[in-house]
Amino acid sequence: MAFRTEQEVDSLHATIECEQPQPDLYKFVGRINIYKDKEEPVARPLGAENLLLRGATLKNTQHIYAVAVYTGMETKMALNYQSKSQKRSAVEKSMNAFLIVYLCILISKAVINTVLKYAWQWSPDRDEPWYNHRTENERQRHVVIRAFTDFLAFMVLFNYIIPVSMYVTVEMQKFLGSYFITWDEEMFDEELGEGAQVNTSDLNEELGQVEYVFTDKTGTLTENNMEFIECCVDGNVYIPHAICNGQILSAASSIDMIDSSPGGYRREHEDLFFRALCLCHTVQVKEEETVDGIKRGIHQGRPTSFYISSSPDEVALVEGMKRLGYTYLRLRDNYMEILNKDDEIERFELLHVLNFDSVRRRMSVIVKSSSGEYLLFCKGADSSIFPRVVSGKVEQVKARVEQNAVEGLRTLCVAYRRLSETEYEEVCHHLNEAKLALQDREQRLAQAYDIIERDFVLLGATAVEDRLQEKAADTIESLHKAGMKVWVLTGDKMETAAATCYASKLFRRSTQILELTKKRTEEQSLHDVLFELNRTVLRQRSISGLSVDCLDFGLIIDGATLSAVLKPNQEGAGPGNYREIFLEICRNCSAVLCCRMAPLQKAQIVKLIKASKEHPITLAIGDGANDVSMILEAHVGIGIMGKEGRQAARNSDYAIPKFKHLKKMLLVHGHYYYIRIAELVQYFFYKNVCFIFPQFLYQFFCGFSQQPLYDTAYLTLYNISFTSLPILLYSLVEQHVTMETLKREPSLYRDIAKNSLLRWPVFLYWTCLGVFDAVIFFFGAYFLFDNTTFTSNGQMFGNWTFGTLVFTVLVFTVTLKLALDTHHWTWINHFVIWGSLLFYVIFSLLWGGIIWPFLNYQRMYYVFMQMLSSGPAWLSIILLITVSLLPDVIKKVLCRAVCPSATERAQSSRPCLTVEPSTIFMLSQSSSRMSF
Amino acid sequence: MMASSYNAKEEDGHHSGAANHGGAGAVKSKKPDNTAFKQQRLPAWQPILTAGTVLPAFFVIGLIFIPIGIGLYVSSNNIKEFEVDYTGVDISSPCHPCAKNFSWNATTPCPCSVHFTLEQPFESNVFMYYGLSNFYQNHRRYVKSRDDSQLNGDRSALTNPSKECEPYRTSEGLPIAPCGAIANSLFNDTLKLYYIDSNGTRNEIPLVKKGIAWWTDKHVKFRNPGGNDNLTLAFKGTSKPVNWRKPVYELDPNDDDNNGFTNEDFIVWMRTAALPTFRKLYRIIQKKSGSTPTLPSGQYVLDITYNYPVLSFDGRKRMILSTISWMGGKNPFLGIAYITVGSICFFLGVVLLIIHHKYDTRNNSADIPN
Repeated sequence: MAFRTEQEVDSLHATIECEQPQPDLYKFVGRINIYKDKEEPVARPLGAENLLLRGATLKNTQHIYAVAVYTGMETKMALNYQSKSQKRSAVEKSMNAFLIVYLCILISKAVINTVLKYAWQWSPDRDEPWYNHRTENERQRHVVIRAFTDFLAFMVLFNYIIPVSMYVTVEMQKFLGSYFITWDEEMFDEELGEGAQVNTSDLNEELGQVEYVFTDKTGTLTENNMEFIECCVDGNVYIPHAICNGQILSAASSIDMIDSSPGGYRREHEDLFFRALCLCHTVQVKEEETVDGIKRGIHQGRPTSFYISSSPDEVALVEGMKRLGYTYLRLRDNYMEILNKDDEIERFELLHVLNFDSVRRRMSVIVKSSSGEYLLFCKGADSSIFPRVVSGKVEQVKARVEQNAVEGLRTLCVAYRRLSETEYEEVCHHLNEAKLALQDREQRLAQAYDIIERDFVLLGATAVEDRLQEKAADTIESLHKAGMKVWVLTGDKMETAAATCYASKLFRRSTQILELTKKRTEEQSLHDVLFELNRTVLRQRSISGLSVDCLDFGLIIDGATLSAVLKPNQEGAGPGNYREIFLEICRNCSAVLCCRMAPLQKAQIVKLIKASKEHPITLAIGDGANDVSMILEAHVGIGIMGKEGRQAARNSDYAIPKFKHLKKMLLVHGHYYYIRIAELVQYFFYKNVCFIFPQFLYQFFCGFSQQPLYDTAYLTLYNISFTSLPILLYSLVEQHVTMETLKREPSLYRDIAKNSLLRWPVFLYWTCLGVFDAVIFFFGAYFLFDNTTFTSNGQMFGNWTFGTLVFTVLVFTVTLKLALDTHHWTWINHFVIWGSLLFYVIFSLLWGGIIWPFLNYQRMYYVFMQMLSSGPAWLSIILLITVSLLPDVIKKVLCRAVCPSATERAQSSRPCLTVEPSTIFMLSQSSSRMSF
Repeated sequence: MMASSYNAKEEDGHHSGAANHGGAGAVKSKKPDNTAFKQQRLPAWQPILTAGTVLPAFFVIGLIFIPIGIGLYVSSNNIKEFEVDYTGVDISSPCHPCAKNFSWNATTPCPCSVHFTLEQPFESNVFMYYGLSNFYQNHRRYVKSRDDSQLNGDRSALTNPSKECEPYRTSEGLPIAPCGAIANSLFNDTLKLYYIDSNGTRNEIPLVKKGIAWWTDKHVKFRNPGGNDNLTLAFKGTSKPVNWRKPVYELDPNDDDNNGFTNEDFIVWMRTAALPTFRKLYRIIQKKSGSTPTLPSGQYVLDITYNYPVLSFDGRKRMILSTISWMGGKNPFLGIAYITVGSICFFLGVVLLIIHHKYDTRNNSADIPN
């Protein structure tokens, strides 16, 4: 039944039943009931393969006829956008903790002042001296209500200590700052035509805090650009020559047969093997030049035919077959056409495709040959094929597979099964039953597959090479140096994965490998293995505590063992027993390889590490749909815009084109963002303490009457105008160390590890500095004002001049403090720092310059100008600013001189490096002049 | 591992494909601009605070601050200041009866005289201040209890003063001018100074009552309603502040320019002090022509008309005579602070120099193997 024209589609009478909208992109369960006149309706299954997602584009057809099943916010895409979980960075958490401290300070300040106020007011002469009576209304108010309003008034007076504007600034900084990632030219990939993407700006600084990196192997560490290397049929190895994906292999000529006497039995297997590979796949052939989507083309015979598939392995295999003489031509009317070695076209009717899934780790097709035979071809991971094989040269193939795996090649095994007519009927029955189920369809399909895919005859194995990504090794080495622990999580075989790990320098020659694999746990109990490993690690650590060269450990664990470790054990010493030992081992390993992992296990591992007692910051990076769970689980999820689709990139927090970009992302951008935001947060608290603490002190001198020290305009504009831009721009452009240095010396990353700039001692330092400065401001002004004349004409200043003096010192000190912290003075910094000081002066002149008609008080009239006309005011402003900045300068200089951190060393080594070439140049110049 | 299913391919189609096949144009537009700002490569000055760079700064600060401090300290010491407390707390004090028997309703002012001796002559202009202690002019309720529009001569505010003036807003149904607690508590002691020369005669020293308030206050901020002439008419329909003995238009009946809201004593009082102990400029004693000192050393009498009660809130009243230099009145604190800070900086400079020498060599030797 086919519908090719609109009329035909129009004639269709059918109903569609489908499940409620849900976000899983790869799952769809539905059923279509087709009504033909008066007959029982025919029901056909609808699965994910029948569903087009919103935003999909057609690849190899001009148009399709379709029915909309979900619309608007109910589409899977829309549901996916919503379901993204909210991630919060460590910086934000410490920010909130600081905020609570400040809230406590605020409340205690208000309480202290309220209590003192009433203690002080005990005598009525103080409460209401003859010159300052209350109104009648106020007098009649109950003392409790009065005390409460006083408390609230103090809260209002001191509320500026809670930096509300900090949140605004932080958000702006994050939003604007994230543009630097997308703008980064170095993270732009020419081949892909795309740069880095930022999907959330909340986690910028978290990039500077990563302690654990979980990376996928295929497509992340490796190119996911497959090259067919060889195949082996019953132990005989075939190597194709020529070009694969534009790269010329240096390998052997034509087909290299180790045993060149083909027997009948072998011949048959060989034929079946090649046909199996030509048939058992989901590759599509694209014959036009304008292909949308991922293309894989080879120019042979017809220059315009491409193979397209979501899996590069499959394309590599089909291409490999082509080079071995068997060309898959096309799928036409459910018949697969193959051009065999003798240039004959063979046609197979495609009956069923048992799709690949990562749990089964294999796929199958059922075809009917032209001779009427029913054949089931299956290809899949060795571990999922070998247990189902009943005959074939298992030993030879296994040996070859293992050898290939050690070389880091990806291996697949191929097997087949001949089905009789009745067997086929049974298979059809199983499949249809499962496919039509509306409930638990997945599960029932899996059961059906399990029944069908058995009693195989092993044909052979293939080997495909997945090359390491450019600079993957360098990146991993840098991450190691930066103190991060790199875990590779892969579904591949242990040997394949281990080889990749060695190639990518995850494991070095000196690395002592600890194995925690099924093979080992079969010999000993898991308990013993774990304890033994733990002992090894601990012993080593106690030794390396004394010796300088500490050996680093690498751990290899496989999926099966992992699930055993994670399983809460009944008989052991309480639950989570193994878990703790396992974590203890992991803590001492710089690199861990987890192989044979199911996608969900990847997320489990991430969760496990996240929940361990140090609560490290984790980062997961991957490119495929199977990495999404771990990307979502980790603190920071990074997607590679890979060949296996956009799933990972879309679900990630950041998407980068290549693995190598991770280095710049973490070591440069992450580092910058972290120090920027750390300074931003600390500075904000600092400047608000400086701002409000004098006001608190003033209460002791104004009878706890909530008299503000500063004018309303100053109170309002302090955070908004006078001190906002310098810190915002600082937090956007600051570079305490140059990018080159950061990239050259990854170990600098350790300096900011564990949220080091936002720890309590640092916070305490900043707060103390703020309090110190505030005390200097207030008492400096107090002693200068105390009972003396400030002007040369004998006139006196009032309380507003006092406040303005304190405020002027405050604005200048706070801005100059930031100037002292700035290591990277671009014109922007100069502009905003000097600009905002200038703005303050101009504003003050203007604000006090005229009688403002809309104000009902003129308290600031000429106050600022009168202050500036007084010599002692200038002198005291300069003095107080100097004194306030002095401790911080001394602290900085002493720390740098006595115990410089790596960052500080890197900073001080900078001038030497820049000076050297110029001196050499000068020397050479002078010498050349001499010679003339 | 073989990858997922059809869908992966379907959904990624719309992004990556375009870039691959869209040609150079599409690629170019996506490629970020290579500008210095976007690549975070703006040219920058990169200073670092090291012992080496800070050292000179410390020495310079030390070298600048210490002389300034010494200059300030010396000029502060050269300033002559004399202070006399006339509150009358002690029984022996001449103003004790006035202080003790104070009553708001007294119709006759209570005079008292304080004798004092100036040991040294006061050269140049002498400024006469009155000082109050324990008087909270900076209390919030007090500070805001004024109406600046009224004081600026606004007619509607004159008859309808701001709510902030409560409870000194109206009296006996009439609006108070000037309203508010500040105006109400205007300092109203009268001070007169006499020099007793060698033969025992009292010579009144001329006290100048102009130029004691800020020029801008006197000429812009404070204005009488309807100009300076005929203030009695202008203030018609208003009431005097409760604690005043005479209405505002009689503050200085002899001088139109110093009457009403523009009375300088009033303006001085209206500028609320920052701290509970404060002084306010009362009069100026102009330097006489010639070489005679403004106030020669010798016996003086301060005649006080005691009107202002402070004992109820344990306050004190003082009269201060002071000369003024370029840096204001006597204030050794500033000079001492400058000297101290300068010395600290100098000392730190020395310490840093030692540290610099000690650690710099160590760091350098440590850097080499790196």
